[in-house]
Amino acid sequence: MSTPKLELVGLKKEFADGSVAAVDGIDLAVEEGQTLALLGPSGCGKSTTLNMIVGLEQPSSGDIRIDGRSVVAVPPGRRNVGLVFQDYAVFTSMSVRENLAFGLRVRGQRKAEIDRAVGEVAELLGLSTMLNGNARDLGGSELQRVAIGRTLVTRPAILLLDEPLSNLEAGTRLATRRELRRLQKEAGLTIIYVTHDQVEALSLADWIAVMSAGKIRQVAPASLICQQPDNIFVASFMGTPPMNLLRGALTRADGGYVFRKDAFVVGLLPGTDIGEAADLPVTIGIRPEEVRLCASGEAGLPARVLLAEPRGSETVVTLETGGQVIKAVIASDHRPTEGRDVMLEIDAASLVLFSGETNRRLPMIAELRA
Amino acid sequence: MSMWPHQDTIATQHMDVIASSTTERPADARSLSISAKRTASPVRFLAAPGQIVSLIVLVLPLLVALYMSFTNWTPTRGSLLNASFVGFDNYAELLIYDTRFLEAVVRTFLIGAVCLSLEFVLGLGLAVIFLREFRGKAVLFSAFLTPMMILPVVVGYTFWMLFQSNGPINQMITLFAGQSFAPEWFRSAPFAVATVIVTEVWHWTPLFFLILLSGLNAVPQNPVRAAVILGASPREVFWRVILPMLKPVIVVAFVIRSMEIIKLFDEVFMLTRGGPGSSTETISLYIYKLAFNDFQLAYGAAAAFLVLIGTLFLINSMLLPIREQLLKERR
Amino acid sequence: MPSRRLSPLLGLLLILALVVTLFPVFWIVMTALKPPTDWNAVPAVWIPAKPTLVNFRTLFDPEAIREYGVGGVSQSASAAVFGSLLASTVSTALSILIGLLAAIGLSRYSSGSTATPLIILSGRMFPPAAIAVPFVIIFSAAHIIDTYSGLIAIYVAATVPFSTWMLKSFVDDLPREIEEAAMVDGQSRLMAHLTVTMPLIRGGLFATTLFIFILNWSDFMFALVLSYGRIATIPVQLAKYVTATAGTLYGVQAALAVLAMIPLVLAGFAIQSHLARGMTFGAIKR
Repeated sequence: MSTPKLELVGLKKEFADGSVAAVDGIDLAVEEGQTLALLGPSGCGKSTTLNMIVGLEQPSSGDIRIDGRSVVAVPPGRRNVGLVFQDYAVFTSMSVRENLAFGLRVRGQRKAEIDRAVGEVAELLGLSTMLNGNARDLGGSELQRVAIGRTLVTRPAILLLDEPLSNLEAGTRLATRRELRRLQKEAGLTIIYVTHDQVEALSLADWIAVMSAGKIRQVAPASLICQQPDNIFVASFMGTPPMNLLRGALTRADGGYVFRKDAFVVGLLPGTDIGEAADLPVTIGIRPEEVRLCASGEAGLPARVLLAEPRGSETVVTLETGGQVIKAVIASDHRPTEGRDVMLEIDAASLVLFSGETNRRLPMIAELRA
Repeated sequence: MSMWPHQDTIATQHMDVIASSTTERPADARSLSISAKRTASPVRFLAAPGQIVSLIVLVLPLLVALYMSFTNWTPTRGSLLNASFVGFDNYAELLIYDTRFLEAVVRTFLIGAVCLSLEFVLGLGLAVIFLREFRGKAVLFSAFLTPMMILPVVVGYTFWMLFQSNGPINQMITLFAGQSFAPEWFRSAPFAVATVIVTEVWHWTPLFFLILLSGLNAVPQNPVRAAVILGASPREVFWRVILPMLKPVIVVAFVIRSMEIIKLFDEVFMLTRGGPGSSTETISLYIYKLAFNDFQLAYGAAAAFLVLIGTLFLINSMLLPIREQLLKERR
Repeated sequence: MPSRRLSPLLGLLLILALVVTLFPVFWIVMTALKPPTDWNAVPAVWIPAKPTLVNFRTLFDPEAIREYGVGGVSQSASAAVFGSLLASTVSTALSILIGLLAAIGLSRYSSGSTATPLIILSGRMFPPAAIAVPFVIIFSAAHIIDTYSGLIAIYVAATVPFSTWMLKSFVDDLPREIEEAAMVDGQSRLMAHLTVTMPLIRGGLFATTLFIFILNWSDFMFALVLSYGRIATIPVQLAKYVTATAGTLYGVQAALAVLAMIPLVLAGFAIQSHLARGMTFGAIKR
């Protein structure tokens, strides 16, 4: 494998008061042309990580490498990384053209070259017609394009975007998302998004790195992270609603295993080998999307509908079964009425098991299937 | 006409109830300002004393002065009411023949330009130093504000004392450079002008410092960071990013100081009384002398109105670059 | 990011600026404490060997001041100190009272107050010597020239726009809902303002009061043209001493200057955080 574009090695940031490390030794590699979202709740250390990558903050220990070269000692302006702020931070006293040209002007480039580069980027971002306008008069998505263009002009090795969609109106979000995708492909950019919003993260990036309390909890392709969370934190963070997590025990039955919590019983795929985890406490993860409802009378688990909350084409149904509360996401045209008795069917292949001790995922199910 | 006659009637009745209500309680707290107009509440007249005072003691004298400026009245000619009209004679005289007036205008303008430039540069420099962290910052901040807390007459007197021919400034010059370098500050025009400028700059640099520092502290940090990441040096960040964002604050500081310097009087009165000759005579000092030494009251009033018009014009053109922003904020 | 610490060069510049800033204050205070032999000494006496309060005593001793009496000034400073205190405090109190009412009125019950700043500004732009002229005429006709009533009237007029504007900016900062809650409780509006609004802007009221006091106490021009012997203020008295004695009375003059300075410097430091607001008509709030 080639050298990663960006590599964080044991990156750590402790603040002067020494209380808690904001960033607690993280390792991360981003390949050229990848898009990765650094996702986590506010205060998880993602902004500090971002600031260290661009050079606004110095790490306490660890290394940051761009194209294999350490940049910890390199001042922010020479790292060749671009940052687009959440509030865009466009220079309101300048015209759009001056904003775009700023990075090259301070590098002392010749006017002809600057004009050419500014023209190219303006073309790419659809800013050509407003180059001479004042940045102060622009609206949200235009400001964002200026902010992106301003860094693209300097041809950054990596582009970082802080909460790129949060300051936009709902209507322009979709268009911006599409625009960012197109831009990334056309310019072959390596992009890191920093966000607390998983919908934003999943829609923008190919890879997701989930952070909490200063640590990276999992790095996975966006398409897999909801199905295969590495640990209980990720499982409880990803998805709306997140995975149903039930703590119980496994027992052997009929040549396979069943998970049991009080009156709630669900069988694992036949032939599953759980090795040393047998008889230990486990947490089972059931994705709401994998819970199906059938009319009562058919085979399955009997359940009662407590709540049905429609959200467009889907409905989030809260169910009581075997003394447990479970959420399911089903198509709205099959929506049950509240208080009705139904039967549940859970796809055994989609079940995820976590160790009750380490809270990590037990790998056996995927292995068996393979 | 309303489509809902019933509602109209109800609304009218409701209003009658409010109007005839003897209690002070508004029917709906959210419609406070509206109901305040309906009920004869004393709150309607809260601003009245202020308005009356402004009217009598600010507008009336202005009108008297305006009337006077079109007459040839002096106190020796009896009542102002019997003064004879001379039309725009006073204004014409001032603008065409009165070289002393025109010189005072130009002089005040030049002194103001030099003072404001120095105050701006020094105040900005000091404010930039105060963006850094150092021990005793709070105490030093207060110390640097001291001059603007001293009354102009005392400042004028203090510098008059400092610039005496055997005063401490000349004694220091003698000590470091020799007696021949110590000038008679108040006997030569350029040196007298210098004393006025030094005094003003000392007195009011703290105001620039105060305003610019609070402006600098309010500058948003993200554009500054963005510029740093784009590779700008600290100097470029300051000149190209921070200073342009500071523009409205700078304009406010210049406007306020300009209004004051056009009226410059107390310090000059104590320092030089406009001398030697009329080499440090400011507009205000000239008008004062016209009115209270020569009793040319009508003529002085005309001069004052010319100054007012000039000032309005000047301040308006100074506010022009931030006009859009001011209007935006009001909305 | 620029370095956050102070380089030695900047530290040196800062000390130099501090010396230049404080030297005139130092000099006038020292002069006020010098015995007569040190007033005009060559080489200069920077710090008096035996600091003395004799200058301050002379200031209030009609006999002593008459000894220096040159050019007809034989008045002690007692009347001027009394006059300054009287005129400044009474006019400040009146200005604050009127200003507070107007501030609440403009902030809560008026929509079209956009002309107010313009009037204030025009008043501030008119050369004071010229605005003094109609006052002299009007006051002569009303027989209040050379009286404290006249002086107080002019001070109130000159500062009401300031007190109104500054207090209004503090009232504007308060959410309306607080007062409205009190009114719904059954209080009259006026009572609600007295019991709710007033205590909440206490800090702003204090700052504005001191700011208006500073303006009144600093006045020179109005007192100069409206006083003809019966009334006096410290700045006018200081000017008279300087004119009459042509500089032979440094220590006593400096003592009076220090007396004039002390209350203002104290008031100024007390409202330091509000100075920018006062000086810029609320354009800058911190």
